[in-house]
Amino acid sequence: MAHENIDIADGVDHQVAMVMDLNKCIGCQTCTVACETLWTEREGTEYMYWNNVETRPGKGYPRDWESKGGGWESEEHNERSVGEIPSQQDYGENWEFDHEGILKEGEDKALKPENTDPEWGPNWDEDQGAGEHPNNYYFYFPRICNHCTHPSCVEACPRKALYKREEDGVVLVDQERCRGYRYCVEGCPYKKVYYNAVTKRSEKCVFCYPRIEGEGPDGETHPPACADQCTTQLRLVGYLDDQDGPIYKLVEQYEVALPLHPEYQTTPNVYYIPPVAPPQHSDDGETVDVERIPRSYLEELFGEQVNDALDTIERERAKVERGGHSELMEILQDKNPAQQYRLEVFADD
Amino acid sequence: MTDASRGRRPLLVAGLLAGLLVASAALVPLIADARPAREIPIENVDQSLADPGADGWSEVPAATVPLASAPSGVPNADDTTVRAVEVEAAQSDETLFVRLRWADSSTDRETNSPRAFPDMAAIQFPVNATTQPAIAMGSQRNLVNVWQWAGTGTTQELLAGGPGSTTAFEQPQVSVEATRATIGEDDGWSVVFTRELNASVDNRTQLAADADLNVAFGIWNGENSERAGQKAVSEWYYFPFGPDEGGAPFQMILWAVAGIAIALVIAVTAISVRRAGQEGESE
Ligand code: SF4
Ligand code: SF4
Repeated sequence: MAHENIDIADGVDHQVAMVMDLNKCIGCQTCTVACETLWTEREGTEYMYWNNVETRPGKGYPRDWESKGGGWESEEHNERSVGEIPSQQDYGENWEFDHEGILKEGEDKALKPENTDPEWGPNWDEDQGAGEHPNNYYFYFPRICNHCTHPSCVEACPRKALYKREEDGVVLVDQERCRGYRYCVEGCPYKKVYYNAVTKRSEKCVFCYPRIEGEGPDGETHPPACADQCTTQLRLVGYLDDQDGPIYKLVEQYEVALPLHPEYQTTPNVYYIPPVAPPQHSDDGETVDVERIPRSYLEELFGEQVNDALDTIERERAKVERGGHSELMEILQDKNPAQQYRLEVFADD
Repeated sequence: MTDASRGRRPLLVAGLLAGLLVASAALVPLIADARPAREIPIENVDQSLADPGADGWSEVPAATVPLASAPSGVPNADDTTVRAVEVEAAQSDETLFVRLRWADSSTDRETNSPRAFPDMAAIQFPVNATTQPAIAMGSQRNLVNVWQWAGTGTTQELLAGGPGSTTAFEQPQVSVEATRATIGEDDGWSVVFTRELNASVDNRTQLAADADLNVAFGIWNGENSERAGQKAVSEWYYFPFGPDEGGAPFQMILWAVAGIAIALVIAVTAISVRRAGQEGESE
């Protein structure tokens, strides 16, 4: 098997993975809408965004999800850390707008939620970021379920309704087994399982498994909708154990693609190229040699490995600037869909 | 014997008799009330008691069943709030009615948001009436039936063979009526579960099987996010569906005590009659 030296979950043949380059995200939410259109336009899903894009620094979606616990106590994965279920207000409620009245009947009123007077919602703190002018900063952060190698959501369920698919490590909720207990919701440290109060069951990102299996009308393999629709095509999709693919190289070889919050110990399979912002400016507009996004903040998100990752990116970039060749820079700029989406490499297994 | 002692004897006998009378009078209410600790009596009724407010319930004796947190691997399993449930049972020709009443000051009827959990109550029976399965949802060999009511108004009839194995019957035969009520000094729930005595399909407990039937109870407080294994549960109790004779040993002991008392009374009476006769002869 191709993954002798890659840590994928026991009993899983291959592990799907995604790399998102945070330097390319423009916060357009096209991915969010693509996902919503495909998966969450059913009753009870109004408040959920399996794919969301939040502004960092910021409280995220659901609000303050990083302080709600979950995951594992240690890398031994023998004791879970108990989490809490976010409140409806933390996610944001389902706002109802009078589009009909305002747009068709010409009613003279502002377009705002009719059913509630919200004080919070997804992207409430969009573009706020941190820092003082002229050195304020923020970046966009797309998030989906990480289809973790050690999924604490799976372990949290007393009914074993969640499972990690043998063929590709996609983490799914068996809707027949689920009884709506929500231990997965509190057990996921990324808060990427959602409770549907209409079906009374939990649900989550399915990595668009029918698309990657080629189960659509055209019978072709497609990447997940969030990746396929991304305006700037910043997502790479494939298998972590595909050693010829760009994901393996970015994660295992160059170590520039990093999991979010590795200290949660779930071993995510969504990886991020950390953001590099222009350096700080002095009050009179001169560029100064200080990084705009503090390393300390990036360390909070990605752990200490972010320092090596950023140093590697900087070094390779400098190489290209001097007229040299860098495989890493080529991968990060690749516009070849055959490389960007490598979903059929193990099709003959 | 001296004359003096002989003269006192009738007095002594009368005293003994009086003592026995007083003692048995004191025992009468005890005997009437006495039942084995784990028995939940079933009152025979001729009208439906499906309504928790039905007048007929006032005639039905109640058993107070203590509850404790169920042993479970789920987080906060030790954190349960309901300490006891009052259980009453009544049976008409074809139907069993079980009323559960417990104190719970918060009314939780919803699962309409991520943090909302409803109050719930459950009654567990062995599928095979003559067995006593593992108390925690039975086992693969000894299945249990669970009647579960939730404050949302839903009732499910479940089959389980160990924790995490519950599956719902597609056509539940259990119906439930529930209402808020005053339990002692507190607000709480009064919930009646109703089912036909006869089981219509496999894996459904036969209630009128002519054998005592084990039964256990569970309560969840939705306000405390209690669900799944985080619940307050009882030990196994039983409904005395079995034949009256040869039932519980405790009852036999009571009858034995009564028998001895009767024999004693007869003996004492006989002795005193004989003594009285002898005295008469000797005079
Ligand atoms: S991100 Fe959360 S929901 Fe997704 S696999 Fe990991 S623990 Fe489970
Ligand atoms: S579609 Fe792409 S660029 Fe737009 S928000 Fe999503 S990840 Fe960012």
